Amino acid sequence: MQKHKLKTFSILPLFLSLFILTGCDNNQLKPPRDMPPSPEKRESEKNFLTDRESARELAREFAQEFAQEFVRHLKESNSSFALPTAVKPGKKPDFTHSGIVDNDGRPHPLLSHCAEDVLEYYKKHADCFTMATGADIPAGLIWLNGSKEKEFSSPSAKKGGTWQAYMRDFPRTFRTIGPDANGAFRSYLLDHNALGLVHSHPNTDGYYPGLATSWAVGEDGATVFYRLDPNARYSDGKQVRASDYFFFLYFMRNKHVQAPWYNDFYGKDKFKKVTIYNQNTLSITFYKAKPDIVERASIRPKPEHFYSELDGEFLTKYQWKPEPTTGPYVVYPRNVDKGKSVTLVRQKDWWADQKKFFRYRFNPNQIKVSVIRDYNKAFEVFLKGDLDMFGLSKAEFWYGKLPHEHPLVAKGYLTKATFYNQTPPPSYALRINSRQPPMDDLNTRKGFHHAINFDLVLKKVFRGDFVRMNSVADGYGTRSHPSIQAREFSVKKAKSFFAKAGYSKLGPDGILLNALGQKLSVEVLTGYKHFEDVLVVLKEQAKKTGLEIKLKILEPTAAWKAANEKNHQVFFSAFNSSVELFPRFWEPFHSDNAYEEVGNSKYTDDGSLKEGVTTKVSTNNFTQTAVQEIDKLIDLYREEENLARITEMSHQLIEKIHDHAVWVPGWKKPWLRLGYWNWIKFPENWGPKESRNYEEFHVFWIEPKEKQRIINAKKEDKPIATEPSVKIYDRYLAK
Amino acid sequence: MFFRMHWLLGWIQECALSKGGMIRLKLNPLARKKLSRFRSIRRGYWSFIFLLFIYGLSLGAELFVNNKALVVFYEGDLYFPTYADQIGGDRFGLDYSYETNYRELKKQFKESNRGNWVLLPIVPYDPYEMDYQDENATGLSPPNFEKRHFLGTDKTERDVLARLLYGFRIAMTFAIAYLLLTYLIAMGAGSLMGYAGGKADMIGLRFVEIWANVPFLYMVIILVSVMPGWWGVGWQVSSLLLIMVLFSWTGMAYYVRASIYKEKAREYISAAQVIGASPTRIIFRHLLPNVISTLVTFAPFTIAAAISSVTALDFLGYGLPPPTPSWGELLKQGVNNLRIAPWIVISTVTALVVTLTLVTFVGEAVREAFDPKKFSTYE
Repeated sequence: MQKHKLKTFSILPLFLSLFILTGCDNNQLKPPRDMPPSPEKRESEKNFLTDRESARELAREFAQEFAQEFVRHLKESNSSFALPTAVKPGKKPDFTHSGIVDNDGRPHPLLSHCAEDVLEYYKKHADCFTMATGADIPAGLIWLNGSKEKEFSSPSAKKGGTWQAYMRDFPRTFRTIGPDANGAFRSYLLDHNALGLVHSHPNTDGYYPGLATSWAVGEDGATVFYRLDPNARYSDGKQVRASDYFFFLYFMRNKHVQAPWYNDFYGKDKFKKVTIYNQNTLSITFYKAKPDIVERASIRPKPEHFYSELDGEFLTKYQWKPEPTTGPYVVYPRNVDKGKSVTLVRQKDWWADQKKFFRYRFNPNQIKVSVIRDYNKAFEVFLKGDLDMFGLSKAEFWYGKLPHEHPLVAKGYLTKATFYNQTPPPSYALRINSRQPPMDDLNTRKGFHHAINFDLVLKKVFRGDFVRMNSVADGYGTRSHPSIQAREFSVKKAKSFFAKAGYSKLGPDGILLNALGQKLSVEVLTGYKHFEDVLVVLKEQAKKTGLEIKLKILEPTAAWKAANEKNHQVFFSAFNSSVELFPRFWEPFHSDNAYEEVGNSKYTDDGSLKEGVTTKVSTNNFTQTAVQEIDKLIDLYREEENLARITEMSHQLIEKIHDHAVWVPGWKKPWLRLGYWNWIKFPENWGPKESRNYEEFHVFWIEPKEKQRIINAKKEDKPIATEPSVKIYDRYLAK
Repeated sequence: MFFRMHWLLGWIQECALSKGGMIRLKLNPLARKKLSRFRSIRRGYWSFIFLLFIYGLSLGAELFVNNKALVVFYEGDLYFPTYADQIGGDRFGLDYSYETNYRELKKQFKESNRGNWVLLPIVPYDPYEMDYQDENATGLSPPNFEKRHFLGTDKTERDVLARLLYGFRIAMTFAIAYLLLTYLIAMGAGSLMGYAGGKADMIGLRFVEIWANVPFLYMVIILVSVMPGWWGVGWQVSSLLLIMVLFSWTGMAYYVRASIYKEKAREYISAAQVIGASPTRIIFRHLLPNVISTLVTFAPFTIAAAISSVTALDFLGYGLPPPTPSWGELLKQGVNNLRIAPWIVISTVTALVVTLTLVTFVGEAVREAFDPKKFSTYE
C-alpha cells in the first residue's frame, strides 16, 4: 500500500509537466526555466496533493488556464509568433559589439527567427558568433570560384531510373549525429549527398563550389570568406541562411546530440568564430592557418527551421525524422519500409540541378537501398540483376565466384572493372589495447607483431591482389613515411620478444607460458564476419610462435559497442580515411582520447602513466595509447602551419607509433574492383582519381533501354558481346 | 545411484557382449522383454550399433584423422606424438622449433633414407590446419585422393573430412550431454510437481508455463553475444550447452509430471506408503523406474533436435566459437560457395541427413519397443 502511494506521488510532477508541455509548442511562450524542485519542496508538494484525483483536477485547471493565456497571446501578437519584445516600429535598433541583440534585447534581423535558447547561446559565446556589416568585409580579398577546374562527370549522363543498392543492416536511426548514427546508411543521407560550402576537387588539388558561389582566404590564413549561393535551398523548400552556420556550431557543440567526438571536433578551440556580414556572406575562422584551410572550414549548414532548438528529447524526436538536405536525394517517410528498405528520391527541381560540377551527377531518379544481411546472398541477388553493382574486392568473388569465364561476364551482360584510385586506404589493422595485460608490455606487443603472418594472408586469402600496409598513415603522398616497414612474420623474433616479456616456457600444447604458468593468449575482437578466414589463418600461424589467438567475431554493431568500451585486447577493424592533405593522429593516438584525465595530469613526473586513470570510452583511441612524448608531438603537429614541418612531424609520429607497437598494419588495395550490369554507365575514365568507392561521386547513370535489352537477351540466352566484359582503368595507377 | 539405471547398463552390456554373456546385471523381466523387442527391430537396432560405432570412431579420431604421426622412428627412438605433448621440429633435426610437420618429415625421411620412418594416420590432416604447402592452393580445392583430401578442402584449405569427423564428435557429445542434463532437470522438476501435487504443483506449473514462453533462440543469441571472450572454447561450449538446457527442459517436465501423477494413483504406491516408505524411496524406487519408459522414447528425438539446433546456431554464427570444427559452419561455407565448391555442401548435408535419419530410426525402434500396449500387465 505504502509503495503504491509513493508511486502515485512520483507520477504527479510528470503529469503536470506533460500538461504544460503540450500547450507549449511555441518556444517564446515557454515559462522561465526553474531549477529542479528541492527535496523539501517536493516533500511539501507531496503533503499537499493527497491523492491522484485532486492532482488531476489541478492539472486540468492549470492546462485550461494555460490555453487561455496562449490564445490571449496569439490575439495580442496578431496571430504571429513574435517575441513579446518584438521590434517596436520607429525606433532604430542599436546593436552592441557582437551584434546578436541590440541594447533593448531585440535580436538582429538576420537572427529574428532564432529560438530563445539559441540566441542565449550566441550571446553567451559572443566571441564565437559575430554579426557584422557588409562594410566589414576586408577589401583586397582574392575571391575564387573554381571556374578553372574541370568537371569530373560525363556530359553524356542521363537522368532517370532506379539504382538498386543494398545495406547490411537497417539503419538504427535517420539522425546523422548521435548514438548509432555513424552507420553505413549515413553516407546516403549526408556524406555522399549533402553539400558543403566548398568541395575539394577529386582530380586536382583545387576546389569546386558547393553551397558557396565563391570564397576567399583572409589575410591571417585562418579565416575563409564564403558567399552563399542565393538559390541554395533545403529539400523542404526553405532557403539556406547564413545563420544556419551559426546554428551548425550551436548544434554540434550541444550536449543533447550526445556526440562527444563532434562536440570536440567542432569545439571552440578549433572553430574560433563565424561572422555573418549579410544575408549571403559569412566567414569562418579556424583556430590557426592551415594549408588546406578552405576545405577544413567548409562546413555543412544545419537547417535551423527544422530543429529550432535542442533539448533532451533530441535523440528520440529525430530518431526517424531525416533532416531536410541540401543534396539531391531525400528520404520521405512513405518510402521507408522499416527493416527492409529505404528508397531515396531525387528532388524534381533540385536547386543545384544545372550547376557546373553537379549537372551530370546524381543521375538516378531513385536509390532503393534494401537490407540484405548476408554478403553472399547479396552477391546472388546481384547475379539475378536485382542489384546494379557489387564490390568485388575480395579475391573469392573476383576469381572464384565471378571469374572472367562466368556466363554473365562472357556474354557481355555484366562488366568486371578494375579502377586504380589514389586515396588513403581504409586502415585495416589489428589495434592492440596497450592497457590490457599481457599487451601492456612493449615486448609482448612487438612479439605479437612478429607473430602475425599477414604475408601469408595476402598470398593465400587475397591471392596477391593486395599489398601490405606499412604504417599508420599510408597513402598521404610525401606526408607518409618514406621507408618504414611493417614488422614481418618471424617465429624467431616473435619468440625472442615473448621471452623478454617472460614467456619462455613451452606448454604441452605448444603455447608459451610465463613463470606464473599463464598462457600467452590474446583475444582478437572483430565485427567482420567476412574476414573470418583472414583471422583463422593468422590464428593458426601465430601458434607457430607459441601465441594463442582466440577469435571473437560478433555482429558489426555488437563488436563496435564492445570495442568502444575499450575492454578488448586486440580489435581488428578498418576506418575509412578521408582524402586529406595530411594524416590525423590526435583521434587514434592522443592520450586525451584514451583517458578521462586531461593533458599531463595523467602522467607522473617521469612521464609514465599514473595508477588508476579512468579509461575514456567511445573514442577512436582503440589502442589506449598514452605516451607523453607522442602527445607533445601531436599537439605541436596540430598547431603547425607549415607543410614542410608538418611532413617532418608526420614522419616522426609514424616512427614513434611504430616503436610503440600498438598497431599491426594490415593490407591496402591500390584499386577499386566492382562488377556492374551493363545498363549502368560510367564516364570515360570511370571516375575521379580520389574515388574511395563506386558511389561516392555519383557519376554513373542508368540506361533504361539498355536494361530492357540486356534483360531480354539474358532471357533468350543470347550473348551481346563476343568477349568477356572486363575493363581496367589504370589512368591513375601509381607508378 | 540417482535412479535405477541398471536396465540401461544391462542394455549396453547386452549390445557389447550379446553372445558372450560373461557378466550380466540383473534385469527385470519387463525391461528384458523391451530390450529383446528392440533388438528384434532390425533397422533401429543396426542404426543404433552403427551410430555407436561412428561415435566411438570419432572419439578416437586422433588416430585416424590427424596431422600428428601415429609413430615416428627416429635415430633408434620411437615417438608417439598423437596424445603426447607437442614435439618441436628440432627434435627430428629440422630447423624450426614449432610443431613438427609430419607429412614433410615423412618425405624427408624417405629422401634421406637413413632408416627413419613415420606412420601417418589415414587422413594426415588436423581439422584446424590449413594445408598451404602447395603454392597454388588458395582454398576450396576439390577432393584429391593423392593428397588424401578425400572430401576436398574448405575456403582456408582445411580438410573437410577432418572437420566433419571432429564436428560430429563435438555435436554428438554436445547432444548427449544436452540430453542427460535436460532429463535430469525435467525429472527433478516433474517428479517434484507430480508427487507433491497441490500448491507445489500449482506454482511449479505456472513457472514452467512462463519459462516455456521465453523465446529460446533469442535468449541463446543474446546470451551468447554477451559471453565474455576471455572464456576458453571449453567454457564457451559448456555455457552454450547450459543456456540451451536451461531453456528447453520444460517440455519434458510436463511429461514427467503427468506420468508421475498417473503412477501415483496406482495401488502399489498406496501400498508402499502404507508400509511407511519415505517419499524419496517411493520416487526413486517405484515411480521413476516406471516413468522412465515414457522418457526413453523421447531420447533419440531429443538428440536429433540437439544436433540440429547446434548446427543451426552455428550456421547463424551464434554457436561454437570459430574455428571450432562444426557442421553448421561447414554448411554455411558450403551454401556460400555452392557453385564453386559443391563438395562441401554435398558431404555436410549427406553426413547430417544420415546421422539424423539413423537417430530417428533408433527413436522409432525405441518407441515401438517401449509401447505399453504390448506389455500391459493388467488383466
